[in-house]
Amino acid sequence: MRFLGYLKRWPHFDRGAVRVWDRNLMAWLKYYKTSVLMNFGEPLMNLLALGFGLGAYVTKLNDLPFAEFIAPGLLASTAMMGVVYDTAFSGHSMLDRGVYESMVTGPLRVESITAGMFLWEASRSVLYGCTFLVVILVMGLVRSPLALLIPVLMVLAGLLFTGPSLFVAAWAKAEDQLFYYFTLVITPMFMFSGIFFPVENLPAAARWAIWLSPLYHVTNLSRALVLGRLHPGLWGDVLWLMVATIVLMPWPVTQMRRRLTA
Amino acid sequence: MTPEGIPSEAAVAARGLVKRYGSHTAVDHVDFTVDQGECFGFLGPNGAGKTSTMKMIYGRSSVSEGVLRVLGLNPDTQLSELKRCVGVVPQENNLDPDLTVWENLYLYARYFELPPEAAEERCHFVLDFVSLADKSGARVDELSGGMKRRLVIGRSLINSPRVLVLDEPTTGLDPHARHLVWQQLAALRTQGVTLLLTTHYMEEAARLCDRLVVMDQGRILAEGRPDRLVEEQVGTQVVELPEAGQVNPGLDLPQGAQELIRRTHRVGSSLFLFTDDNRTLLGELARANPELVSRALARPSTLEDVFLTLAGRGLEE
Repeated sequence: MRFLGYLKRWPHFDRGAVRVWDRNLMAWLKYYKTSVLMNFGEPLMNLLALGFGLGAYVTKLNDLPFAEFIAPGLLASTAMMGVVYDTAFSGHSMLDRGVYESMVTGPLRVESITAGMFLWEASRSVLYGCTFLVVILVMGLVRSPLALLIPVLMVLAGLLFTGPSLFVAAWAKAEDQLFYYFTLVITPMFMFSGIFFPVENLPAAARWAIWLSPLYHVTNLSRALVLGRLHPGLWGDVLWLMVATIVLMPWPVTQMRRRLTA
Repeated sequence: MTPEGIPSEAAVAARGLVKRYGSHTAVDHVDFTVDQGECFGFLGPNGAGKTSTMKMIYGRSSVSEGVLRVLGLNPDTQLSELKRCVGVVPQENNLDPDLTVWENLYLYARYFELPPEAAEERCHFVLDFVSLADKSGARVDELSGGMKRRLVIGRSLINSPRVLVLDEPTTGLDPHARHLVWQQLAALRTQGVTLLLTTHYMEEAARLCDRLVVMDQGRILAEGRPDRLVEEQVGTQVVELPEAGQVNPGLDLPQGAQELIRRTHRVGSSLFLFTDDNRTLLGELARANPELVSRALARPSTLEDVFLTLAGRGLEE
């Protein structure tokens, strides 16, 4: 029965959700230049400084030049950061400034609004992932046409990271509280998800901790696609991501309802 | 009549309606029936339960107890249908600050599933109605308070609602902006739209409403036409005696005056004597105590006086 209750909080991917997507596009088109710059400046610097700068001194990792090793991981983290920052900060400010409220004052339901945010952030994830893919393609760091599947992976990653981020956005009473999420969850995940170093040879305990990070699985799949190195173990990553996405999806609905209806 | 005793042609009807937030009861068993096409007011101070009642009517918050029907629809089970025929002007403007005036309206029309062309047509119509056509491309935060309010009223009309809920439509507006809003509401009423409005301005209630309820602390204290309500509850006129702290109306006033007084009320050291005949009352008082009358203020009574006598305090307190 509890499970049925959980399903009732499922976001509604209906026409209302598409309208929310429309609204976000309309607003985004007004400020996308700064937003894109912010999202690409940092990973690009990481790639240049670490990949080519530090990489010149690092021996090969898993038979790969350092830049080639970290590029697919940075692709995954760029998409994650884009989604997580946008959902947490703009989600929070949309709550604060009455944007969602204007929607529920009209005909939209909280379930549709939440679904609209999932759709929107999945789109952004695809945009960020693909733009970064083009950048590393130009740098000669893409090895396989399987990279064409990156958009599919980005949809999945976008949906996954939106759930907890929107929950945090609706949970935080003040914007400051969002930094807990970044400091305690997002930054460690960025550092310890196999982006900068291989995790296969770490002690078992560390490997298990890293296995819990969603970004680790996105990174694994991204690297496999960009480099064309497929192996059966990747199905485990796919399954992990799908289960986590489904389980986390209803999570923000209750919190959004608490903020928007009483 | 429905089984709950609600007339089926009513625009909005409540029976024993309750709203609780935790242990706090914001709306405490209220009953009212709003007829189609009328302007119905909820007059009361902040915290009277007006906004909570409105939120239940437009489906923003759930009904804790009792029966509520809007155009015969149950907000618990028929929310989507209800939202299609109700327009809402919430207390806070909640416009989309990232977007322009036009975009705000257009998106709202799309939220209601109007096809793009019909949506544009409706936006033009609404912008003209609220006299904001020249502000179409302006960002929301460039608008004055009165313009924002008019935009919200325009937005509430985007789905051509049969019932319009207005929660304090003119609070915080200057007199000019307020009059513009009043004109627009009057125009809507002539078009047959049912208006429900909350206010703590008695002038607004008296001017706009066909009928109203006076609310305080979650309860309805009185109900009726504004002029009748004044007449029934307190009498049409009032004599205010300042610095009358020592005066006991039952003992110190002459018999002739007492017969004219329908009701008395004390606020601080002032004494309010409600009557239907100020002139004669003043004459009677002057014969007995000229000094008292020299400071007296005689005026017509208002809804504020009704509220004062029923709730024991003023609307703005």
